Amino acid sequence: MRPDERDLDDEIRGHLAISIRERIDRGENPEAARLAALREFGYVPRLRDEMRRVWYSRGSDAMLDLASDVRYAVRALVKHRGFSLTVIGVLTLGIGLNAAVFTMVKGMLLSPLAGVANSGRLVVLYGETSTGRQLKLSYPDYRHLRDSNDAFVDLFGSSLVTINLGRGKDARQLSGEVVTGNYFQALGVRAQLGRTLLPSDEATPGQPVVVISDGLWRRDLGADPDIIGRTIDLNNVPLTVVGVTDPSFHGTIVSYDVEVFIPVTMTPQFRFNFERLNSRVAPAEILSDPYTYILSPHGYLRPGMSLAGAAAQVDTIWAARAGERVAEESPQQLRLSRFWNAPTGGQGFMLPTLMVLSAMGLLVLMLACANIAGLVLVRGLSRRGEIAVRLALGATRARIVRLLVIENLVLAAPGAVIGLLLAWRSIPLLVGYAEQMAAPQRIYFNIDLSSLDLTFTAVVACVCALVFGLVPALQSSRISLVSAINEDASPRGAARNRLRTGLVVAQVAVSLLLLVGSGLATRSVEAARRADPGFDGDRVAAIHFDLKQNGYDEARGRAFYEQLLAAARLDPALEAVSLAQYTPLALIDSRMQRVAVEGYAPRSGEDLSFMSNTVAPDYFRTLRIPLLAGRSFDDRDDEAGGRVVVVNHTLAERFWGSADAAVGQRIQITGSDWSTVIGVVADLKYSRINEGPRPYFYQPLTQHYRSAMILHARGTEAVDVVVERARRHVLAVDPQLPILGAKPFVQDTAGAFIFYDLTAFMLFIFGAAGMLLAALGTYGLVSYTVRQSTQEIGIRMALGAGRFSVVRGFLARGLRLGALGAVLGVAAAFLLGGLLRHVLFGVSATDPVSFTQALALVFGVVTAASIVPAWRASRTSPLNALRHL
Amino acid sequence: MAKSPDPERLEILQGTLDMLILRTLQWGPRHGHGIGQAIATHSDELLKVETGSLYPALHRLEKRGWLASEWGISEANHRAKFYRLTAAGKAQLAREQDRWSQFVHAIGRVMNPAKAGKD
Repeated sequence: MRPDERDLDDEIRGHLAISIRERIDRGENPEAARLAALREFGYVPRLRDEMRRVWYSRGSDAMLDLASDVRYAVRALVKHRGFSLTVIGVLTLGIGLNAAVFTMVKGMLLSPLAGVANSGRLVVLYGETSTGRQLKLSYPDYRHLRDSNDAFVDLFGSSLVTINLGRGKDARQLSGEVVTGNYFQALGVRAQLGRTLLPSDEATPGQPVVVISDGLWRRDLGADPDIIGRTIDLNNVPLTVVGVTDPSFHGTIVSYDVEVFIPVTMTPQFRFNFERLNSRVAPAEILSDPYTYILSPHGYLRPGMSLAGAAAQVDTIWAARAGERVAEESPQQLRLSRFWNAPTGGQGFMLPTLMVLSAMGLLVLMLACANIAGLVLVRGLSRRGEIAVRLALGATRARIVRLLVIENLVLAAPGAVIGLLLAWRSIPLLVGYAEQMAAPQRIYFNIDLSSLDLTFTAVVACVCALVFGLVPALQSSRISLVSAINEDASPRGAARNRLRTGLVVAQVAVSLLLLVGSGLATRSVEAARRADPGFDGDRVAAIHFDLKQNGYDEARGRAFYEQLLAAARLDPALEAVSLAQYTPLALIDSRMQRVAVEGYAPRSGEDLSFMSNTVAPDYFRTLRIPLLAGRSFDDRDDEAGGRVVVVNHTLAERFWGSADAAVGQRIQITGSDWSTVIGVVADLKYSRINEGPRPYFYQPLTQHYRSAMILHARGTEAVDVVVERARRHVLAVDPQLPILGAKPFVQDTAGAFIFYDLTAFMLFIFGAAGMLLAALGTYGLVSYTVRQSTQEIGIRMALGAGRFSVVRGFLARGLRLGALGAVLGVAAAFLLGGLLRHVLFGVSATDPVSFTQALALVFGVVTAASIVPAWRASRTSPLNALRHL
Repeated sequence: MAKSPDPERLEILQGTLDMLILRTLQWGPRHGHGIGQAIATHSDELLKVETGSLYPALHRLEKRGWLASEWGISEANHRAKFYRLTAAGKAQLAREQDRWSQFVHAIGRVMNPAKAGKD
């Protein structure tokens, strides 16, 4: 029968009673007998513990101890509320930021695609030309690969397209994917209503079917339960809805919210603008032309197949096929990469950002740990008495270390929980911020909190607790009983001093690193905002439309453009109007075209494919792009006239040496006649704000008809008024024409800044957190060191030292430590600067301004932390300071 | 903190305490204090059992079913827990006594090889 606590106590009491009685019987006086019996008995609680331990198995025994340690720890921490709250606050910051970053990194690496199991293992295939340019694959190439490889379970293909939904005034643009028939099966995505697309939809060309996303179904179609079998208009083509995807699925293009999925064999009906080298491919040939690169093949490797093995197999299959085609224009090499580090899609710009954020997160955490280690160390001093008593009562050092470690774990737990909550609450905020900036385009990030994040946070918290707790705990347990009995509580141990000094130096170093990082980020955002994109988009309206949507053929379309431009030019409120096919800074490389230059023999393997745009007269004046030589397009450049082209400064310099020399030269765009260069304009930032100079050329709309154009109108009034005016001009010519977008021009280019803004925003938060921690920690430790020297100050002042000389002495000591930390921090910042290269713009990783700012801040904190307490200490009377000597 | 040990006193060999307790209880039920006293008396005060070892050992033996306990009144009129040997305890005592004899024998051979050789 297991005895309860009372039984144990009774047994012990009985023993003592008998023992005392015997001693009294032997003639000892009762009091002496009692003391002797007690002495003989030993430490009662420990005996009771051991007796109890007999009755509980080993595991529950440890649990019992643990429970009592935890209870004790909680009590101790509640008692020292100020200390506990500070530590919890610091940890919350450190752990919360890391949990948030981890959640994002995990989303990117392990499950980049929502609603797809194992999307982290997805492999992407892409082609590379002999000049190293990356390409998608043509439909015939994809089919050949799919049918002749056995490295993949199932190879599916997809491509992102922009599609107009609906007709007339209500039409809106959305993101869609054209996909192969096996897309949904290979991904394992189900339909919540109806069916997904099937291989049979691909096998029968021209099947007018579409699968829609849950979002589209709910937002635009009112969650109509009878949607299956209804038709929706996409690019004016009626398609039958056959299914609604699972709500969690958002397509396979990272950061895009894909809303419709169309069989690839429907592309001839859609006339999408695919990236391709042939300037014109008849719609009917899209699926058979080997130079029309429309699909990005994806797949899961067969079990047991390695990435290298699959690459070797694909190489073999491809070797025979590549040789038949022009090396600079077709994929000569096929490359395989894991989905998360594929150079295509959103991964490319997300990954460097996430890496930087992870590094910053780690630094903040290190700082938090150093901070708390300092606090724990300081607190350990005030507990020397308690620990000495425990040691004297027979507690082992291991037991004390365990107690202290448990105390630190208990201390870390609330930080972890609150940090996780913080991450959980802040991620939607961040994503919302990103979405708001990206509006009106819909974006989607696959970020959600899972058990993996919980585990990660728990591990981080434990590691933190060990890191910040163990060293000070070991130090505290190494108390000599003699010194404790002598109540010598002054920290004179050399090891302790070294540890504290080390912590100050480490904190200064790490905080300097963080401050430099956030300083660089802030400055690069400023630079990006100030950067001259080469055009002036203020007070310019951009009205998007596609004449195809209202059934225009080329002849009627030309008439429409003439009428529209003529009417808008007469409007006194509009300074200049024009039309263009693309807006700059759109983050994508629009329409690469291969050119030949008269009299120029390209080096072997030289890539002569350049981005281009199709524009109406007055385009350069409307966007205030300087004309450097020759003339701009005008009404002379019609269909009857000779083909003309305007090139940018970089292109002119590359082939003819200067802008002036370029005028009158000729280039040939693949698939059309030789064109004469009539003018040279200044360079713009064409797709990204951080791109280098790149060759670019413009073709006149009058010689190259396009149906999807953007009206550009520069007005004198506020931009919203200009937008409304421009929109009315379009509707005046054709009231039925769907307006796909009517907005200020700068909204179209805002996307180029989103990721700078986002990264900078997060780096700013990390920097601010780091600065707070660094300031608190450095101040705390330095000022503590000074406070510990109150006696020394007393002695010095008693010996006649002046207040200033005392303060100066401590300041010098603080600055020495600060300088050591600063040297280490600066060295680390130089070494790690390369990491930031991908997210920086307009500042070098060794930007002196950022470094100076960070140094000034750090030294400011160190100076204040040294002077303030030293000054205060020097004001106490020497007598007071000496009293405890 | 530890008292300097009595030079006359012998340390109880590790593992033999259980046997000593079982043996002591062969003479009838006793409480913890009595068991300690009995061991001391029977060893001519050469063996002294620390309470810190005695009580955990008693509880250990009880848990294994070799001892049973009941509450009673001591000779000094105090409530005390009396331990007695169970059947299993008796069997265990026999086993331990055998092992002890073997042990003594073996040690003897090692320590006194000349004599052991004639065995």
